[in-house]
Amino acid sequence: MNKKILTIIILFFSITIYSQNKLPKNHSLTNLTCKTCHTCDVPTKKNPCLVPCPRSEMVTINQSPDQAPEVEVLKELSSRYMPVVFSHKLHAQMSQMSGGCGTCHHYNTVGPIQPCINCHETSRKRADISKPDLEAAYHRQCINCHREWSHSNDCTSCHALKNKNESISIASYVKKMTGKSHPALVEPKKIVYETNYNKGKIVTFFHNEHINLFGAKCIDCHRDENCTKCHDKNKTTNVQQIYSDVPIKIHKSKEEHHKPCFSCHQDDKCSLCHKDKSMAPFNHAISTGWALNRFHENLTCEKCHGSSTKFVKLNNDCNNCHKDFVAGKFDHKVTGLKLSENHKDLDCNECHKEKNFTKTPTCENCHDDKSFPKDKPGTEVNISSKKKK
Amino acid sequence: MEKQNRRSFLKTSALIGAVATGISTKTANAKPKNILSEDRMGVLVDTTVCIGCRNCEWACKVAHNIPTEDRIKYEDRSVFKHMRRPQPNAYTVVNEYPNPKNAVLPTDVKVQCMHCDHPACVSACIVGAISKEENGSVIWDTKKCIGCRYCMVACPFQIPSFDYDKPLNPEIRKCDFCFERTKQGLLPACVKNCPVEALTYGPRNDLIKEARERIKRDPDRYLNHIYGETEAGGTSWLYLANQDFSKLAFPSPGDKPMPGTSESIQHGIFAYFVPPAFLYALLGGIMWITKKRNESK
Ligand code: SF4
Ligand code: SF4
Ligand code: SF4
Repeated sequence: MNKKILTIIILFFSITIYSQNKLPKNHSLTNLTCKTCHTCDVPTKKNPCLVPCPRSEMVTINQSPDQAPEVEVLKELSSRYMPVVFSHKLHAQMSQMSGGCGTCHHYNTVGPIQPCINCHETSRKRADISKPDLEAAYHRQCINCHREWSHSNDCTSCHALKNKNESISIASYVKKMTGKSHPALVEPKKIVYETNYNKGKIVTFFHNEHINLFGAKCIDCHRDENCTKCHDKNKTTNVQQIYSDVPIKIHKSKEEHHKPCFSCHQDDKCSLCHKDKSMAPFNHAISTGWALNRFHENLTCEKCHGSSTKFVKLNNDCNNCHKDFVAGKFDHKVTGLKLSENHKDLDCNECHKEKNFTKTPTCENCHDDKSFPKDKPGTEVNISSKKKK
Repeated sequence: MEKQNRRSFLKTSALIGAVATGISTKTANAKPKNILSEDRMGVLVDTTVCIGCRNCEWACKVAHNIPTEDRIKYEDRSVFKHMRRPQPNAYTVVNEYPNPKNAVLPTDVKVQCMHCDHPACVSACIVGAISKEENGSVIWDTKKCIGCRYCMVACPFQIPSFDYDKPLNPEIRKCDFCFERTKQGLLPACVKNCPVEALTYGPRNDLIKEARERIKRDPDRYLNHIYGETEAGGTSWLYLANQDFSKLAFPSPGDKPMPGTSESIQHGIFAYFVPPAFLYALLGGIMWITKKRNESK
């Protein structure tokens, strides 16, 4: 029984590996020299002469956890302990919050995802000391997350001690682990941090805005993270805290904690984030003095302000983006007002003083007795059906 | 030159001692073995990897037949509340310090003999009981040790400790780099049992290369300093850390080998004065005899 399940797992694993055995397209365009991965000058499909461990971050295949092997039985090193039944898929799901497959399968070539044993030798006494041996490789990948989470080096949470009087069935462990899934991640809207910064203890982080509005990708901030971001063995409150207004304390150093923010906010003043109390969500009108109209409110910031890592400040001049918005050419009826023949060809700033479109237009340049919105320079049209992106 | 002086001094004193106590010079000869081989071995301790599991402490005791509690007891992290030093019954100890980069992952540092390239203990030992071997190990000969504690004073890392439980025959105790094990081609017990290989065993030259490589590959993770590369003239055990070594209770012995200091003290005091040298040898001789007697009992 034991053997059968193992065979199935091994078979499953080999098939998975086989199906991964395809190079991504254009892998030669990766920002690496050929020599990082190939030992010969002209690598061919038949003889790719691959370097076993290129020691350079480059996992390009980020599989979905569902493609990953479900459970792995790590039994190469079992002497004092029973083999470890590792819930690979579950961990792969958790790794989506940090570096994906690359969290553990570091230095993977652009080829198939390598199991640890391909690079890490099983013997501690060896000539090549540039890589840890297999035991250390396994432990280094597991232990720090587990330590942060459980605050101890509890060997037995992964290893069952070998006990002569008791036969532990690996198959039953495998069965127990199979099919386990991490519940779908609920994206937090807002996280409030309590910091040690005297001039502004509270930092409010709007997670939803950074993703949906500012166009940040998960990996822009979540690089070196693990489950302890939300879970702690001793405190079940962590997860709830993250989704509430209760400020949470951070255990990382100032530098480490600022790192993800600084990839974009490095030139900003501390007071942009550090306040005395929690902040209100971003509001374009309040922050910039320019309320977004119905055309703009659904755009991502990047559309107007350039790359999400470096937003460019704009002024109120439509021509910043809309080069063709000039007198006579601009179809004023998209604003809900079709200009009359007399007004059609006027320059924008005849009515919109200094091209400030946030202010009420004026008629005084030509008319002493008229004022907007009581008097209109054309006819109102229905625009609700013409919602334009 | 200095060495020659020192040797002849030791020989003389041994001779006087021998004459004074009636023992042949052969047995009391104090010529320590002090080899500095290009291929000497070492251990690279990566404190950014160490998890403070204290498996090394346990393994060291087992390998040296020192009575120990069950391994499971070593999971108790409360021992880290106090700083510990190597003891006669613990050749290596692990201490814990705050990690400025991550408060929940403290920095753990294993302490043991550094196996200096120019061991002060070897130079300080008046009977030549301590020697530096071809493979880098600094070991001692229980039979020769007279318990004078000179090595203890000389060691820049405060390593040798004495077994005060045996008042008549106190004995030096310290990490011997698992000399008996490595002789048989085995790894040092601590290296073998470290679950994360925070301890890498290899030729010292390779270890320095590897340490440089690690710093280069991950400059955010490491302080650009290999402790032991030059400290006290270089040591076989080398350390990497993510914070200043002084914060981890490492001494700053300077880059010059220590023996120079202790040797010159000896020479300064004794070189040209026969009487102190004579007294000195006499005392040494008596201690040596007492020891022999105790041993034969
Ligand atoms: S650390 Fe101390 S005991 Fe060890 S070799 Fe150096 S001087 Fe001798
Ligand atoms: S090398 Fe041997 S004696 Fe020294 S600390 Fe390690 S196990 Fe103990
Ligand atoms: S066994 Fe390794 S990880 Fe554990 S305390 Fe010793 S050096 Fe650190």
